[in-house]
Amino acid sequence: MSEDVTAAAQMAVQKVVQKVADGVTLSEADWARLTGSHDLIALGMAADTARRRRHDDRVTFVQVLEVPLDPRDPLDSDALEAPIPPPTGEVRVTGCPDSSAAAVAAVRTTVARAGAVPVTGFALADLEDVAGHDRSRLRDVLGALREAGLAQLGEVSAAGLTDPDGALAALRDSGVQAARVTLGVATGDAALTLIRQVASWDGVGDVCRCLAPLPRTGSSPPSTGYADLRQVALARLLVDNIDSIQVDWSRYGPKLAQVALTFGADDVDSVPVTGADDQGWRRSPGEEIRRNIVGAGFTAVPRDGRFEVMEDSAESHGHRTRQS
Amino acid sequence: MSVEAVAAKVRSGGRIDRAEALTLYADASTLLLGQLADAIRARKHPSGAVTYIIDRNVNYTNVCVARCAFCAFYRPVGSGEGYVLGFDELFRKIDETLAVGGVQLLLQGGHNPDLPLEWYEDLFRAVKAKYPDFKLHALSPPELLHLSRLSLQPVSVVVARLVRAGLDSVPGGGAEILVDRARRLLNCESKATADEWLSVMRTVHQAGLRSTATMMYGSVERVDERVEHLCRLRELQDETGGFTAFITWSYQPSNTELGGVEATGVEYLRMLALSRIVLDNFDNLQASWVTQGGKVGQLSLAYGANDMGSIMIEENVVRAAGAAYCMDEAEIVRNIEDAGFVPKRRTMAYDILGDPLFRERAIPRQTELAVARAAGDTSVPAELSRYPARSRPGKQQRDAVTES
Repeated sequence: MSEDVTAAAQMAVQKVVQKVADGVTLSEADWARLTGSHDLIALGMAADTARRRRHDDRVTFVQVLEVPLDPRDPLDSDALEAPIPPPTGEVRVTGCPDSSAAAVAAVRTTVARAGAVPVTGFALADLEDVAGHDRSRLRDVLGALREAGLAQLGEVSAAGLTDPDGALAALRDSGVQAARVTLGVATGDAALTLIRQVASWDGVGDVCRCLAPLPRTGSSPPSTGYADLRQVALARLLVDNIDSIQVDWSRYGPKLAQVALTFGADDVDSVPVTGADDQGWRRSPGEEIRRNIVGAGFTAVPRDGRFEVMEDSAESHGHRTRQS
Repeated sequence: MSVEAVAAKVRSGGRIDRAEALTLYADASTLLLGQLADAIRARKHPSGAVTYIIDRNVNYTNVCVARCAFCAFYRPVGSGEGYVLGFDELFRKIDETLAVGGVQLLLQGGHNPDLPLEWYEDLFRAVKAKYPDFKLHALSPPELLHLSRLSLQPVSVVVARLVRAGLDSVPGGGAEILVDRARRLLNCESKATADEWLSVMRTVHQAGLRSTATMMYGSVERVDERVEHLCRLRELQDETGGFTAFITWSYQPSNTELGGVEATGVEYLRMLALSRIVLDNFDNLQASWVTQGGKVGQLSLAYGANDMGSIMIEENVVRAAGAAYCMDEAEIVRNIEDAGFVPKRRTMAYDILGDPLFRERAIPRQTELAVARAAGDTSVPAELSRYPARSRPGKQQRDAVTES
């Protein structure tokens, strides 16, 4: 790689970055330059410009209490009996229901326990299975979950969706919003292909709040830091029809999730409710996420499972925002 | 001066002063810092090569009288968990290192009052007799100062004796923050003041040895003290040109007396980038994947680093403080190439040795770093009886070894 070639490639990427800053629609050649470039900083700058246009310096986060759903043991009894800790913004039912009735029962029980805290859960693909891949029955299942108190559907996986238009229509018809679109386990070119598919879905932003562009499970070999951040940045640049780009605190760890905020992400999912509280408030997940968001140059905004802003007590801990 | 003005100065190749460095750190965006640092990296290393070394990070003893508040590794004199590695144990570690293509030991340890200068000389001579081409990158400035105090010899004499015995180069450990206010708070001023650390390095460079330089940030220091640290290193480098590389890492708080929380990943990348910008007379900056993990370690290559450091094989100090990441040669090479760079093996002096070794011959994959000793191993090396101990527990231990 000669110095001249590198400089020329960087300049070409910079031109594309400028187009993004100017709000110009990118051509296929522009995308090829962006996706083929190893100039990660230029990509990050373009994505950061795009995210600031939408969200300024705000980063939302949600503290999630997970309640496991086991088809053979409808709800974990210990988890059911434990009180909901105060910082919880969302109670998430995790697992795959084996029937519509089981899903509805789990939501009803969890809602009764959660009180005012929004209850979310389930993947659309699992509910399609429960509904026998019948669009009308899927709409009924979704409606029943909404009636039972489900605040948001947990996940729409772009990777497993055979009929995106039908699925999105079922969501719309039933009045259920999905918290996020995911890409399943896709990385690299496969992930980029899915991101572009999502970008083409009409009206997806009306029923899905976020795109979570990083793989949902680990792979071997693991994805790299460059690959992860490139995927986050490209998601922000490519997907105009979904408002937020989301990273997952628990899946990717505080360090990568924090750096991703400077590459186009604006929402942090799955911040635990409890953690190292016995080591003082500075080690609690709520304080750590605020410290990380502010440390990345943004303003931390706690939200709940409906994406509504929660009252923040962080000011009493002396946080302040510096220029990012 | 505004951020834009300082950035323009950096882009034109100008040297920034303390105030300008502070302006950048306080007010520049993380991406701007990365862009400035990456441009300097590209200017200094236009071939796109990213280097690494295959060596082993060995701690010959964990017994230490310094008692630094940020250290989770040391054990006090007389502790049942204290150890000294025997010559044969070290030879075995060298054999294992050579088997995976290693070229040197990074040998550091506690300030053990029961290991006199002669022990080090004998060890180095024994290593060189058995492994003539193998390099010893050993004994950070506070260790050399400790040996000077123990032996009542000037540092220059200690260094000269160790060089005669086989010392090849000196690691930059023990610098922490080169400001005495912070060193007092860290309880590490007594092992070496800032001036003493720099003075030892000056002596090392004057003796013809090369060394690295380090900084541990994120404990008790202020940001202006980090900048002061960088500027003092830059001044010594102007004077001697003896530093081959700079490595910064964040304080690891687990299991330490000081406690606290670890600095964030973004703060690491900002600090690394600022280091690249301020240290305009350092050719090489290493990524600290061992403290930041593989992902942020790889991202370091976009924020000014041109070197992935060592594959380490063994690590004890950072692990004791809670970080336990592992990357073998294949994983380091995968990360370098994924970031668009060309991986090259190197020596401590940054001479290129060649392409990745695992592509030339089969090398077993390594999924976790080795430790100094197996848990529960309390053996005392027989050769220790040849050296006088200073501490009461040390004397008792020597007597027991002699009697057995």
